[in-house]
Amino acid sequence: MANPDKLVYSGFTLSVHGVLEDNEIDSIRDFVDEHKRSIFDAGKLILDFSDSPGIDTVPAVVLYGFCKELSRAGVKVSRNGASDVIESLFKTLAKFDASPEPGKRKLSIHSHFELLGENVYEFGKTLSELGHFMGETLSAFAGLVLHPLKIRWPMVLYYMEESGFKAIPIVAVLPWLLGVVLGYQAGYQMRVFGAETFMPALIGYSITWEIGPMLAAVLVAGRSGSAYAAEIGTMQVREEVDALRVMGFDIFSYLVTPKMIALLCVMPFLVLLANLAGIFGGLLAGSMFLDLSPGTFISELGKALIPLDILWGMLKSVVYAVIIANVGSYMGMKVRGGAAAVGKATTAAVVLSIFMVIIADALLSLLFIHIRPGLSM
Amino acid sequence: MEQVLKVEKLEGGWDELLVLNDVNLEVRKGEVLAIVGKSGCGKSTLMHYLLGLLKPWKGRVIFKGSDIWSSPEALQRARSKWGVTFQSGALLGNLTLLENVMLPLKEYTDLSERDLRIVAYSKLDTVDLADFADSNPLEVSGGMQKRAGLARAMALDPEVLFFDEPSAGLDPVTSGSLDELIITINSTLGTTVVIVTHELASIFAISDRVVMLDPDEHGIIAVGTAAELRDHSSDERVRLFFGRNLAAKKRSDRKCR
Repeated sequence: MANPDKLVYSGFTLSVHGVLEDNEIDSIRDFVDEHKRSIFDAGKLILDFSDSPGIDTVPAVVLYGFCKELSRAGVKVSRNGASDVIESLFKTLAKFDASPEPGKRKLSIHSHFELLGENVYEFGKTLSELGHFMGETLSAFAGLVLHPLKIRWPMVLYYMEESGFKAIPIVAVLPWLLGVVLGYQAGYQMRVFGAETFMPALIGYSITWEIGPMLAAVLVAGRSGSAYAAEIGTMQVREEVDALRVMGFDIFSYLVTPKMIALLCVMPFLVLLANLAGIFGGLLAGSMFLDLSPGTFISELGKALIPLDILWGMLKSVVYAVIIANVGSYMGMKVRGGAAAVGKATTAAVVLSIFMVIIADALLSLLFIHIRPGLSM
Repeated sequence: MEQVLKVEKLEGGWDELLVLNDVNLEVRKGEVLAIVGKSGCGKSTLMHYLLGLLKPWKGRVIFKGSDIWSSPEALQRARSKWGVTFQSGALLGNLTLLENVMLPLKEYTDLSERDLRIVAYSKLDTVDLADFADSNPLEVSGGMQKRAGLARAMALDPEVLFFDEPSAGLDPVTSGSLDELIITINSTLGTTVVIVTHELASIFAISDRVVMLDPDEHGIIAVGTAAELRDHSSDERVRLFFGRNLAAKKRSDRKCR
């Protein structure tokens, strides 16, 4: 209920007694609503502050909004007896009321194109910086290959464990599941034409050419690319990277190459594992749903696959390893500011590395068509 | 007086934002030089340029007569003569304090592992942290992290020691003892010290000369001893910066009476 002690309305005058406080706005609103009708009818209002030493900002906003509503409706509003504090408070409110609302960007076709252009430019810049970054890493790597003792082997082993060994469960399970699904669905379709004996070949090709390497790369990018970005990003925030540089360390040899070497060592084997798991999934699907005995599956598979199929996936993974390690480290290195920037960097690292892995995969597939016997049309 | 480090007509900033324009500065051998100014005036940016972490847009940074950007070797040579203590300590989180101090030693010397440890221990001892040698940086207090950072900066007996806001985030007693440590190092080893700070107490306690930056000028507006700048500067901004100290002094005088 309105506080009868503090607000009094009589005649054309609304007088304020004492200090209006923040927690009283509900009663102020009630009071205002109650007398709105009669004030409108009167056509004139005097706000009398002569008995008030000052009011809080929140009630002032409420009163200010009410006065604005009144004057818009043609009621004459004036203030009386307001102290300097109150007067300047109302002036401040009026000043910021007059300033346009920020943040609402005018959306037009023009600005859409502008935004698009900006994004494309930014993306291009990122790619060129990344290219430069990779160049630095690879030259540091080349330098280290000549002096293998300078490689930080303990760190390499650490990353091999983190990115390789610990990834084994997920890299085995997901392709296996995908192999089951693929085998079942493909076999079901093929049985209609009595062609289910070709299912093992289909599984073999799709898993070893594409799904195995790609899935392994996506999983490693998600697990380790993001971890690299977070690790280096945090070091960047804590000025550790600057400290290393000032101490004369080459950050590429010190921070980036151990990650890259570790991935180069483990990725081919993760791909091999993904391939085996996927094919095993297909074998299971065949024997469970399609009456294809494991023996038949393996002999059919043996007719279709050649060693190059497996080897090619492992070779591709070397490229993926370079991409994932570099994109993760690059995104971490780009971090400026605080913890929020680290979060953004990890996301960006995953998105960009998967994007680049797919592009690399597309290019390598073009090459593969020309290399593999029996493929060219 | 012999100069160790010199900045000539430096121009630079972050991305496209100009922070420093036409900055000239010299650091003399054996002095304690404080770089001061209000927040956002480019103190830390100038420090980044002095340390060769950023390449100047224009101008040169000269260490003992040679431009540090003239060749990678020149930069490396200069860096081997510098020690830097960062604002947060910047210790590597995955290493112990001792291993952190050993880092630069490993990079620049071919001492045996045993000797490395001995040197690192002795450096930690000078900052009174020998008992915490095997702690992780995150397990010790902020003041200890900074002292460990200082031990690491001194590992190679540098000719110039840089401090980026050593007193930031420290209580007056701890930052006072850090100041004392800096004075001791400067007077006993003759190490030149460049310190970025905005702690007036620190500035008056340890600096021989003060260089003051201002964000509007994008550069240096005053050079001199702390007392000179406080008492005799004709520049309003300089008086304002040091004036806070005057106000505090007046107040304490009044209270004494």
